[in-house]
Amino acid sequence: MLLTQNISLFRSNKKIFENINLSINSSKIIMLKGRNGSGKTSFLKTLLNIIEPTSGTIYWKGKLLKNNLSDYFKNVTYISDKTSSVRELTLYENIKVWRKISLSNIKDDQIEKTLKMLNLYNLSNSKVNTLSLGELKKLELLRLIIDNKKLWILDEPLTNLDTDTINIIGKTFEDHCNNKGSIILTSHQKPEIRVSEEINF
Amino acid sequence: MSLLKKIINFYYREYKLYLSGFHDILTNISFFFISIFIFIFSVGPSNEQLSLLGIGIIWTLLLLSSTLSLRKFYQDDFESGNIVLLYINGFSLELISLLKTFSHFFFVQLPFLLSIPLASILLNIPFEKIYTLILSFLIGSAILSSLGSISSSMNLLNRKNYLLGSVIVILLSIPVIIFSVGIIDQNENFNSLVSILVGILMITFAINPWASGACLKIAIENNQ
Repeated sequence: MLLTQNISLFRSNKKIFENINLSINSSKIIMLKGRNGSGKTSFLKTLLNIIEPTSGTIYWKGKLLKNNLSDYFKNVTYISDKTSSVRELTLYENIKVWRKISLSNIKDDQIEKTLKMLNLYNLSNSKVNTLSLGELKKLELLRLIIDNKKLWILDEPLTNLDTDTINIIGKTFEDHCNNKGSIILTSHQKPEIRVSEEINF
Repeated sequence: MSLLKKIINFYYREYKLYLSGFHDILTNISFFFISIFIFIFSVGPSNEQLSLLGIGIIWTLLLLSSTLSLRKFYQDDFESGNIVLLYINGFSLELISLLKTFSHFFFVQLPFLLSIPLASILLNIPFEKIYTLILSFLIGSAILSSLGSISSSMNLLNRKNYLLGSVIVILLSIPVIIFSVGIIDQNENFNSLVSILVGILMITFAINPWASGACLKIAIENNQ
């Protein structure tokens, strides 16, 4: 699906990362490891075509990523380390906005089930600015279910989550891989899941 | 069809955002009216003087009021990573700039349209001039939204100095003020002045998506 060949990124003559080769196929979980500031987030942004690599090429389904962006974005969900929810809206309103923006076909009962599983159902009508950091993170991760796409690119998805939620998310990752999805993530916590490949930065 | 649906859904999101920040719109309009009162108190109660200066005062205050909202143009969505999410959801940065400009025009500038008749009465502007004032505002405010988009996206590149964007908008809007105020006082050259204003609108409208899109791209790249 996604292939990177010797991609490197330099900023003001400073090396961010160099010669990264990666092949992400279906049912694969790839974990990027490294200390803070080692270039993991920049690498993810390069994969999303947000940052142009200094050298190297990225392919999506055998074509140059740049020439196949439309199809690529139809298959990718990105969860960043930031909170993208609108703080003045309620949790439910945020979900409604995301569903509309991503043209999601997900059914209401499926959303309800996931909200209950993540202990967010009772907070549906609470404004996002009243939620805790962990609840905000869970709300972000809900976009994985709403978007329902093949490739998940996740930047620190487990930060601020309690053990129970990390287990639920780990189970969701496994289900996704069993459905021929793939995941590339950065994390300082190792989830209890089968990681196909680890890349050190 | 899918793009059209996405654009409609984008405006649903913008509507929700502006509705949740409705107090900002009210603050802008309050600023506009309070400033008019300050002008009235400082110029004095002479009807002739107010009538003479009224249109200039309204345009100056409209410009200042609209610059108040510039910081929110891209800032919130940029900092929360929503610009990137929209990009990944199939909105090019140029399209985001264009759609944001329209929503700024609808949700920030158009509420002033309702304020103009009341402001005109307060400043003793003749009734027959209100129509041309509204026309000049409709064209001029669309230009200000386009300029606002460019300067706000430039602000993302220079986040230490937020006032720079407002200064750029005020400088670039000098021709808009000249022609917009000129329309109201000119009877003979009315059509040509409207054409010039529409021309400026077309130029800013054509430049805006590319300039703002480029600034957004650099800002996203730099925000690693």
